Amino acid sequence: MAKREPSINTENFTAVQLMELDSCSRCGECVNWCPTYDASGKNPGLAPRDKILRWKEFMNKSYGLRARLFGPKEISAEEIEQFKNDVYGCTTCGMCATVCESAINTVELWESMRANLVKRGNGPYGKQGMFLKLIGEYKNPYMADNKDRTNWFPKDIKVEDKAEVLYFGGCTAELRQRKLALATARVLNKLGIKFTMLGEDEICCGSALVRTGQYFINDTAKINAQKNIDNIEAKGAKIVLYACAGCYRASLIDWPRLTGKELPFKVVHITEFLQDLIKKGEIKWEKSIDKKVTYHDPCHLGRHVGVFEPPRAVLEAIPGIEFVEMERIKENQRCCGAGGGVKAGLPDLALGVASTRVEDALATNADILSSACPFCKRNLSDGRDAIGAKELEVEDVIVLVAEAMGIDLSDTPAE
Amino acid sequence: MEYFAGVSEALRLTFVQIMIISILSVGIFVVGMYINLKKWGMGSTGYGQAPSKSILTFPKTLMYQMNEHAHVHNQSVLKTFVFDILFQRRILQRSPVRWFMHFTIFVGWMTLFAMSGAMFFVEMTHMIGEKLGYAESLPWFMNPEVFRELLSTPNDIFSYILLVGIIIAIYRRLFVAKTRESTIAYDSILLIGLTVITVTGFIADGIRNNTIWNGVINFDWTIPMTNIALSLHYGDPIFPFTYAPPAALFHVIISLLFCIAYIPFSKYIHIIAIPLALLANKGGE
Ligand code: HEM
Ligand code: SF4
Ligand code: SF4
Repeated sequence: MAKREPSINTENFTAVQLMELDSCSRCGECVNWCPTYDASGKNPGLAPRDKILRWKEFMNKSYGLRARLFGPKEISAEEIEQFKNDVYGCTTCGMCATVCESAINTVELWESMRANLVKRGNGPYGKQGMFLKLIGEYKNPYMADNKDRTNWFPKDIKVEDKAEVLYFGGCTAELRQRKLALATARVLNKLGIKFTMLGEDEICCGSALVRTGQYFINDTAKINAQKNIDNIEAKGAKIVLYACAGCYRASLIDWPRLTGKELPFKVVHITEFLQDLIKKGEIKWEKSIDKKVTYHDPCHLGRHVGVFEPPRAVLEAIPGIEFVEMERIKENQRCCGAGGGVKAGLPDLALGVASTRVEDALATNADILSSACPFCKRNLSDGRDAIGAKELEVEDVIVLVAEAMGIDLSDTPAE
Repeated sequence: MEYFAGVSEALRLTFVQIMIISILSVGIFVVGMYINLKKWGMGSTGYGQAPSKSILTFPKTLMYQMNEHAHVHNQSVLKTFVFDILFQRRILQRSPVRWFMHFTIFVGWMTLFAMSGAMFFVEMTHMIGEKLGYAESLPWFMNPEVFRELLSTPNDIFSYILLVGIIIAIYRRLFVAKTRESTIAYDSILLIGLTVITVTGFIADGIRNNTIWNGVINFDWTIPMTNIALSLHYGDPIFPFTYAPPAALFHVIISLLFCIAYIPFSKYIHIIAIPLALLANKGGE
């Protein structure tokens, strides 16, 4: 009788990741902190510890001692399908990695599991399956004409053809949360910083594809990353600015990985850039924002990369702002719920997580819940609406900066 | 000549038995680790690469990852080794109680393990020395009897340290609702095994030192089992000498099987895998 084939394979896992499965001590810290597990009403399947255990068991059934002696044990299709559903119920926020006593790089583990399951024909989840087609066809996941990225900029905005500084707007800010892109452009203009943009040549940064395990299909993410890099280089840019945490993380970490090359430019978040200018005394504030403001760290800017201080420094420099912190901040921040494809795939779960985060903000009595990512802003706004906390304003740091610099954004066009 | 790490002259055979069990345990451990390395080696050497399926894949990937630049924490191997592996600060950061529990288990176990190894080494050296005639020229402490006396106090101390950790761990598993509810066999078997080893260690030691049934009992409250076993023989003056070897033998055998052979097949793999994960991820995020 021919030996049965293992039900799973190890595609997309590195050897170290397979070892990490065996290093979980089941301490349970990740379970205490996971925002989606919490928002799901403690659905045991979503617990990070449980996901590691299950995949480890899949591995042992397929390649462990007994499998070597007597052949692999079958894992049922339903079991794998259930696992897929659970592993997509994660925003890749990275909280579990931060608290993991075994220092497991869980986020990459989830992404590898997802990629493996996509290859196997199980993943991705729900609407996430559209990402590839949309990004391939439209170069953005919103089915928008790519020309619309910047052609809506009001006449006053001055974007150079070539410059040392390039603003990588990102799909969400250019096509959906336009106030943020407009604020960034006008702030740069007012500061006299000559900058350029990719305009219709900009392609989705690939974050959605990487996070949902679809990056390898047709090499789309890699090809797009390379095109973006080439286009940025062609613009003569040495510094690339981001006002979107997702694009920032994708450029800083995922692009070099995908292309296997170091980036020929510096990746800088707009708050880092502004912090520097504030230090040099180059920003002139014209208005005071007399409000209590709290700040939500985007996972992809904070925990993933370690940019915690710049946005706070910027907020604290704005005249009139009384800055207050929420309970869970910086490394221990609670995710907004949008990332990892959850907003597209499991909107209810995303909303649940966002509502909890909005409650964190309400507990500080802040007037404004700020963040530094259009995706966070969108989901936190949805969360606020869901719990009817009308009094809380959700706004991006860069928009507050623009306001305090006396910049008018009332002419922002709709989507 | 007496064989102190386990058994005495009364049972000469036991020396051979110990050797067989030791070799068997190490053999099982090696086979288990080979299977694990093969399993880990089913992965690729880097992000987005195809699986390579070689036994060397894992060490290669580990080295590669350790040399890579990390974005958040980029700490040195030495720092990781001292703070995260030896001192286990990631546990401390999360829960001082759990850290204390684990640190006592870790320190107790590691030290006892190292001391057993040292005792074994001294006995072997001495025994071979006797055969080859250089035993007399060994330094004074290389005499098994002297060496055992030297180790006797640290042995007691670290056994109690280990016991403290185990008691906290058992308490947690039984009485802390959240921990109890999430406990699966994979977790509890470690603790059960370790408890059996520690308890049999105390019994064997107690019998040998003739303390258990002479009223000088300082630990039988932890081991009611001992009382049951010993009541059968209470008053028998030759008891210690008859039963010390089997008790010690039992202790040594399950220690070897459980603490060495079982590592690759149980949650004990964490003793190897967690330090490797810490090194690979430079101490973690
Ligand atoms: C560098 C080495 C080690 C590291 C980093 C490490 C780490 C851990 C962690 C994080 C846990 C989970 C604690 C919890 O449940 O809250 C654990 C559990 C455990 N470790 Fe270790 N460990 C190491 C070595 C050892 C050694 C040498 C032993 C010796 C026997 C050991 C025995 C145990 C036991 C028995 C448990 C389970 C406790 C329980 O479930 O209640 N560990 N270890
Ligand atoms: S990355 Fe965040 S959402 Fe995903 S399992 Fe970890 S803690 Fe939960
Ligand atoms: S925090 Fe890490 S070691 Fe602890 S249960 Fe979660 S994955 Fe396992």
